[in-house]
Amino acid sequence: MRILLLARVRLGAVAVLSLLTLSACLLVAGLPRVLQGAYDDALHRALQEAPAQQADLSVRTESRGALADLHEPGQFATQDARLRSLVPPRLRPLVSATGQMSAKTYDVPVNESNGLTYINLAWLSDGDRRVEWIDGRAPGKPGVLPWNGSEITLFEVGIVDEARATMGLKIGDVRILGESDQIAAKVVGVFRAKDPGARYWSHDVDVLHVTQVQPPGQLEMERRTTALIPASGLAVLNSAHRNLVYNWILPVDPAAPASLDVPELRAAVEDYRRLIPVQMAGNGSQYRLETDLPGLLDRFGTALGTAQTVMFLVLGGLLAVALGVLVLAVQLLTERIDHPLALARARGGSLRQVAGAGAALVAIAVAPAALAGWALAFLVPGPVPWVAHAGPALVPLTAVGYAAARLSVTHRAPLHERRDDVAAARPSARRITLEVLVVGLALAGAYLLRTRGLTTGGQDPFLLLVPVALTVAAALITIRCYPLPLKLLVRLAARGRLAVPFLGLTRAARARSASALPVLILLPALAVSVFGAVISGGLSATQRLASWQSVGAPIKLTSPVELPPDAIERVRKVPGVRLLVPAQTASAQIGYGGERAQIIAVDLGQWRRLLDGAPISLPAIASGTSGIPVLVSHELRGRGTFEIGWYERMKVTTAGEIAALPGFYPRGKFIVLPFETNERPGVNTLLIRGDADPAALLAATGQPTAQVTTQERALAAIEDDPLTGTVQDVLLITTAALAVYALIAVVVTLVIGAADRARALSFLRTLGLSDRQARGLTVLEILPLILITSLAGLALGLGLPAALGPAIDLSSYTGDLAVGDYSADPVLPVVLAGGLAAVAVLGAYAHTAISRRRNLGAVLRVGDLT
Amino acid sequence: MSPTLSELEARAAEGKAAFGGDAHIVCDNLVRIFKTEGVEVVALQGLDLLIQKGELVAVVGASGSGKSTLLNVLSGLDVPTAGVARVAGTDLLAMTAKDRLRYRRDIVGFVWQQTARNLLPYLTARENVELPMKLAGRPGTGKARRGRAADLLDLMGVGSRADRKVPEMSGGEQQRVAIAVALANSPQLVLADEPTGELDSETSEEVFGALRKANGELGVTVVIVTHDPLVSERVDRTIGIRDGRTSSETLRREGVAEEYAVLDRVGRLQLPRDFMNALDMERRVRLELESDHIGVWPAREEPSDGQ
Repeated sequence: MRILLLARVRLGAVAVLSLLTLSACLLVAGLPRVLQGAYDDALHRALQEAPAQQADLSVRTESRGALADLHEPGQFATQDARLRSLVPPRLRPLVSATGQMSAKTYDVPVNESNGLTYINLAWLSDGDRRVEWIDGRAPGKPGVLPWNGSEITLFEVGIVDEARATMGLKIGDVRILGESDQIAAKVVGVFRAKDPGARYWSHDVDVLHVTQVQPPGQLEMERRTTALIPASGLAVLNSAHRNLVYNWILPVDPAAPASLDVPELRAAVEDYRRLIPVQMAGNGSQYRLETDLPGLLDRFGTALGTAQTVMFLVLGGLLAVALGVLVLAVQLLTERIDHPLALARARGGSLRQVAGAGAALVAIAVAPAALAGWALAFLVPGPVPWVAHAGPALVPLTAVGYAAARLSVTHRAPLHERRDDVAAARPSARRITLEVLVVGLALAGAYLLRTRGLTTGGQDPFLLLVPVALTVAAALITIRCYPLPLKLLVRLAARGRLAVPFLGLTRAARARSASALPVLILLPALAVSVFGAVISGGLSATQRLASWQSVGAPIKLTSPVELPPDAIERVRKVPGVRLLVPAQTASAQIGYGGERAQIIAVDLGQWRRLLDGAPISLPAIASGTSGIPVLVSHELRGRGTFEIGWYERMKVTTAGEIAALPGFYPRGKFIVLPFETNERPGVNTLLIRGDADPAALLAATGQPTAQVTTQERALAAIEDDPLTGTVQDVLLITTAALAVYALIAVVVTLVIGAADRARALSFLRTLGLSDRQARGLTVLEILPLILITSLAGLALGLGLPAALGPAIDLSSYTGDLAVGDYSADPVLPVVLAGGLAAVAVLGAYAHTAISRRRNLGAVLRVGDLT
Repeated sequence: MSPTLSELEARAAEGKAAFGGDAHIVCDNLVRIFKTEGVEVVALQGLDLLIQKGELVAVVGASGSGKSTLLNVLSGLDVPTAGVARVAGTDLLAMTAKDRLRYRRDIVGFVWQQTARNLLPYLTARENVELPMKLAGRPGTGKARRGRAADLLDLMGVGSRADRKVPEMSGGEQQRVAIAVALANSPQLVLADEPTGELDSETSEEVFGALRKANGELGVTVVIVTHDPLVSERVDRTIGIRDGRTSSETLRREGVAEEYAVLDRVGRLQLPRDFMNALDMERRVRLELESDHIGVWPAREEPSDGQ
């Protein structure tokens, strides 16, 4: 058959097929990589942002008895090596080589401090590296101290500078520790952390900071600090009379794990947890693993699951549309080579020879392109999920398979000059039954999904099947029903005086079965784009809402101390401040008991003006009630008029109830008072509208401890998430790709029907049809299909989020605010559908404009094959 | 003893085989109906045809009379709905797909009216001739194939055009290459559907000459469907088809043409339309048997039934 020669002759169609394959393979191989990269980034960030104490693997053991005590760093190192050798292979790449070890006492009170002061002793394996001595010297070897007639161990210790300030310790102090079998600690140095922000401090917060708590029923605070002892101190640190724990920290590198391995990692951590007590048993000590890594991975997995579901739907839609367009292009090529194949079949070619030759030609067009697309995708950074290989393999297989199947059917009988000039086929009862069944199943599936919700964890195959079924059902209904309104239009047009609308609509209504394919392509293309736009729109709107709810104003300035009136005036004069609302926040006593509530005194009317245009709103305080009208939270409802103690005792009257106060109290007990409740307001919060520079605002207050939060920054913080950003980017790329595919689908459909249409148009032009009318005729012929498919696609895309709403939980991307209202902004989807339809119609127009240059006679002669 | 069912069947089959005897092409009561949902087009309505081996026959008829359908049936491209169609002993109705393929490869070759449709435009003349041999997977070297292709092209008088591609040849040359293609696998029968339909008279002469050469020198049976008097008046036998039936035959012996009406096996006869019009014959005629002929008279004027 000289297939290469045939490919050269049909270079145009082959090139179209190659380009489509290349782009489809690049998309289906590249986008999953981008996504997988984003998933990994998100995992790394989630681990990075979690305290090291949660993410790292820490093995603890409480020493019980002299046998289990460790007296020198070498023993720690031996145990460390043993622990590391037990780490499951899957976890090993995650664990950093440099870990930390420590020995710490806990709950060691200072003698005769009434249990209000505790000084614990700690040895940190890398203490020298982590601290610097700012006063005194590093502690040295322990000694002895005569006390109460006997000699007790005297440890030289270093304390953190915070302990010097809050616990009144100073260099040279000696404290007797313990209520019995005492030891002594002598402060010889004061240290501070070289890098207080380093992750490893997360495990030793007690060393770095003094813990202060107020024990119930006591006025004085209980203070605890942990003092550092040198390695030489270990020799005399024993568990006989002290609570002593040993820790080995195996730091987890937040950048090491890949999101693909999350389930295995989780299982490996649990294995390790089970392994340690068994393998490390001995000397009566119980070793145990303490880590929240599985929890972190689980939380990440939930967020990932949602992103994967949405992306799977969108990418699946893209793949389906790409395959549809590819099939259309294969159809174009097979129609182009119809003559050679039909001739070969008539001259004695077997079905296998003929279909094989056609499939080989398609393979020549798609195989190198698929390989190139797959290879090009390696330029896209990111790990390679299996989809990135399966997708590009599926694309050429579909093309070649479809070509072989189509050619086998077409050339099964050698003569395929069917008399298809006679009436259109009527649908069989069997087919209608099948279609009704598909539609019914899709609707039932959507209903069940809504009532059931999502299964927990992993991908839900049902969730992925229902949209597919709904799309197929919508396509079937569209294909089946779209000639009906057209026939009505044809009747109307037949009465009119103009020939073009009548002819165009008649041709459109005489739809051949070939027109099903464009519907099957355009409909999911639109549905997926609209679905993506709606999801992405709902996401952005909810993120914006979350940012407003967290800040409560465009700019919020808070100060721990009162802002004097002149400072407020200075802030008011900062360039860019358009409106400033002062507020007072405090904690107030309710009644005379110990019950307290957060209170805020603010002018709600002014605040509402400040929020003009924002997605949050504030209730008004009903005026006219006696006493001070206030709004209370749900927890304080039903109290009517009650008394609170703030600056002075005052009676307040419940004038309304609110669930949450944006920017201040999302829940709990709180009261909103009118601003002028206090005669001399102690303003400590400023709500500002305008585009003032936060630094300038802070400078104007003259308060170094004041803080500024802005809604924009809060929004940026919510949006600055690798998953959200990538999801939005992928949605954008997908929408653009789908629009291009829709355009190609329309043009290829037109090109496939070109010969037939050219014959009809040429015939009509001999009867006096002008060029302009011919263009109008083509556009009218394709327009009803595009319009109706666009409407169906738009409806499906808008309906899908509603149908799947309960099953897609995007709250992990919006600061835990549920994405509720997907139909917030119908403008974008409508513009999208309209744009796609317009692009498709333009394609039709352009195609006619180009093909009109053909010679009338040539078309009529070539067309006349019978 | 009464005959068994199988004996009866065998006897019935014998009776049928008797029609046409050992003719090369036998069509008996051939029917072909094109059926699309709701609409039926009867293209052949009981056609009878006998053609002997080595004959050169023309089939003529008005547009839509069923000529092309007959040719498609004979070429194995189309399957008749009912009746008998046998070519070179092969029953065209009882063939499997495999038989049909072998039939197209070994027994029949054909030429269509459109010169563009017969040949692959991107191949040279020689490659076009080699194509059916390659498709049939004939044993033999490429050299042997090339040799046969060159011989056939020489026979058709287009040997010098062997390495030209289709668009570089004239219409007549293309049709002669197409005949060479049809002859590539040494078929017993060549069917040509208006092979001169798109050609001027001089070129038609060459193409018809080529077909006659194939018939004369290779002994191939040739059936030509044509409108062209240049062709139909120069063959020994011209068969006329009307409304899906063979209606007339013209035999030429030593330059004298005699037109005959076709009498089918049950004695039906189709009178030429101009004969009927001339004598105003309609609905019924009167027949009278004479010693050496049958007389056909228009029905006598009779008073109508109502009066």
